[in-house]
Amino acid sequence: MAKYVLSRLIAMVITLWIIVTITFFLMHAVPGSPFNQERNTSEAVQQNLEAHYHLDEPVFIQYVIYIKSLATLDFGPSIKQSSTSVNEMIGRGFPVSAELGVISLLIAVISGMILGILAALKHNGVIDYIAMTFAVIGISVPNFIMATLLIQQLAVTWEIFPVATWASPVHMILPSIALATGPMAIIARLTRSSMIEVLNQDYILTARAKGMTTFQIVTKHAMRNALLPVITILGTLVAGVLTGSFVIEKIFAIPGMGKYFINGINDRDYPVIMGTTVFYSAFLILMLFVVDIVYGILDPRIKLHKRGN
Amino acid sequence: MKKLVVLLLSLVLLLGIVGCTTTENSSSNSGSENDESKEESKKVLKLNNGSEPTSFDPPIGFDSVSWNALNNLMEGMTRLDQDDQPQPAAAKEWELSDDGKTYTFHLRDAKWSNGEPVTAEDFEYAWKRLANPDTASPAAFLAYFIEGAEAFNTGEGSEEDMMVKAVDESTLEVQLESPVPYFPSLVSNPAFFPVHKDTVEADPEWHTEADTYVSNGPFKLTKWEHDSKFVFSKNENYWDVANVKLDEVDWAMVDDTNTEYQMYKTGELHTSDVPADLSEELFDNGQAQVEDQSGTYFYRFNLDMEPFQNENIRKAFAMAIDQQKIVEFVTKNEEKPAHGFVAYGFEDASGGDFREVGGDLVTTDANKAKELLEKGMEEEGYNELPNVTLTYNTSDAHKKIAETLQQMYKEVLGVNIDLANQEWNVFSDEQKQLKLQFSRSSFLADYGDPINFLESFQTGHSMNRTGWSSEEYDSLIQQAKEETDEAKRFELMHEAEALLFEEMPIFPIHFYNQVYLQNEDVTGIVRHPVGYMELKDAAIK
Repeated sequence: MAKYVLSRLIAMVITLWIIVTITFFLMHAVPGSPFNQERNTSEAVQQNLEAHYHLDEPVFIQYVIYIKSLATLDFGPSIKQSSTSVNEMIGRGFPVSAELGVISLLIAVISGMILGILAALKHNGVIDYIAMTFAVIGISVPNFIMATLLIQQLAVTWEIFPVATWASPVHMILPSIALATGPMAIIARLTRSSMIEVLNQDYILTARAKGMTTFQIVTKHAMRNALLPVITILGTLVAGVLTGSFVIEKIFAIPGMGKYFINGINDRDYPVIMGTTVFYSAFLILMLFVVDIVYGILDPRIKLHKRGN
Repeated sequence: MKKLVVLLLSLVLLLGIVGCTTTENSSSNSGSENDESKEESKKVLKLNNGSEPTSFDPPIGFDSVSWNALNNLMEGMTRLDQDDQPQPAAAKEWELSDDGKTYTFHLRDAKWSNGEPVTAEDFEYAWKRLANPDTASPAAFLAYFIEGAEAFNTGEGSEEDMMVKAVDESTLEVQLESPVPYFPSLVSNPAFFPVHKDTVEADPEWHTEADTYVSNGPFKLTKWEHDSKFVFSKNENYWDVANVKLDEVDWAMVDDTNTEYQMYKTGELHTSDVPADLSEELFDNGQAQVEDQSGTYFYRFNLDMEPFQNENIRKAFAMAIDQQKIVEFVTKNEEKPAHGFVAYGFEDASGGDFREVGGDLVTTDANKAKELLEKGMEEEGYNELPNVTLTYNTSDAHKKIAETLQQMYKEVLGVNIDLANQEWNVFSDEQKQLKLQFSRSSFLADYGDPINFLESFQTGHSMNRTGWSSEEYDSLIQQAKEETDEAKRFELMHEAEALLFEEMPIFPIHFYNQVYLQNEDVTGIVRHPVGYMELKDAAIK
């Protein structure tokens, strides 16, 4: 196990380095510069700015400088928001995004699995159809539509919830729901199909023959196996949802880190592009690793340390 | 069952690892609700800043998300009044030498928010800091009016040779490169705000948090939760604190216009922008208010690319466009149609408006446009007009205008043009490198004088971007910059603008404006055509 973990860790660092390198050179190959304002500034001012951020050096030198500072986990200062470092941006934005992400994932996982299991148990029944209609709507309605709808109905018309911002737990309800609908629908559909498959297995029949109740069968025998596909997508989902949603955070004015992914690129704010990319990639790679570990625990047939034999 | 527990635990762990770091954040805000009972007597204005200010360090935050707010935290030598005229602020008076090049500012007894006096030395330090290449200020070019500043900024001169000097505690002497009659208005710009020298020298990060921020304006920064909000409260050390009517200004950071509008409707904000989809409705029921903004939406021809090397073809393309129709039916935002480049709002010596005196320099005339196109094609020996591609940076608003132009060219000239759009940064790069044949452009004034508009089209100027070059134009602009007589100076500028439209390297669509919604209880917010929002006189019922 320890050997497996170590080899995975080394692979993770190499993957990350490849991502950093490709992103760095791609980003500098794209036309534009962080100082491209519509308003006028003089040539001399531009040159001062470029010198200030070492952008006047050859790209390869910049790359070496960047890798050096990255080795100390220093992402450098943002160019656009020059009084803030990228580390500060992530340090401020990630906890907020993660908070929103955790709440929505909990909503998505719990309600998605309940919907999926109910649908599978009443396969082709009314509940199945209702649950799956719900899921199809959840997948096909984009979350910004959902968000606008929720604000219009629940905040403006009925005045139950505040419109936006991230000031108190009440403020968190609407954005969490808006962000949860998509993942919930995906989880519901996955759970349903794998549950249906599992429920047709011989061992479920045996369990039933032994006189177990449906509840016992589902919790003790079926769910564990049916969870595998859900765990698979949960890795990517967690990384995606927890690092922030640009759209939802923008609509609800949530101070998360979702906006940095998009604005960094639009502004050609190189340190922000790199910082967010590295952070997201590292997080995603880590999540995929965690998923693999959880597999091993869930399914004894998967033996991690024997991989490669 | 054991395995199920392990599974659930690992799931919870998976989700929880990150979750636990966030709990402190949510609790810190609950305190604000306790204050609500007191707020009834407190005058609190709730505004939206859109996003996190890029910086509250005066020379760095060169954009409206920083300077709109900063304008009320700090105060320069002058402050613009309701009629956009400079009034004494940190300076109580100033004198101008006979050659029009040396200003002597006399400071009033004013204090910083930390109780220290505002001195001439603070100003000298701040203005030199603006020009210092190590500061890397994007606004440094505004200092170029001061003798020696440009050399200092480009690394050719030294700090000592920049001619701004504190003669004593309360007297600042500035020598300019050339006479600049609008200098008192220019120094109201946030780039020229003073900074508290001792604070800045002791802590280079002073401007990043509310605790360490030192200001000399009507308000002080009392709270700054990065990326979510900041709070101003009345600065009791401000020299004119008796006339500041608000106790507090709460600035939210809501980036989405629809959300901003919803918050305005539920009373969480006192002002809002107008969402594009609702602008017609809000104009019709009289809720939307309009203020001028000194800037021009225009198109650039590229004179290095066919067919726009030909003056008559350029004129044909300019005259085929009906600006009135565009503002009435396309933008629907009550902009003024533009038939010249310099916007409204600049008074000459005899009180006339520059734009009105200058008149319409390009007019819509379908027949003349057709005639000129034929003439131009003949001159160039074209049987068929080379393909024309109009490029704009990707945005719905620009697309609508571009499509209207396409339609007008088809109807009036019988010419089919292609449209292309590019992401902003790519677009801007290609426009500067003269790679675009015909492209959308805009200009917003940095200071309140027509010369700011007109200097853009000098040969090789960074705003030229057309390949157009005229010695006569360059010399007119130079003369205008040297001229001390106001009437003559305006005459030279009119001449230059007329010349620009005779050769037509650009043509205008409309002048910009500021459209907003404002709660009826709020009064006294001033929005200048050139300059930043003023809250000094703002009040709320």
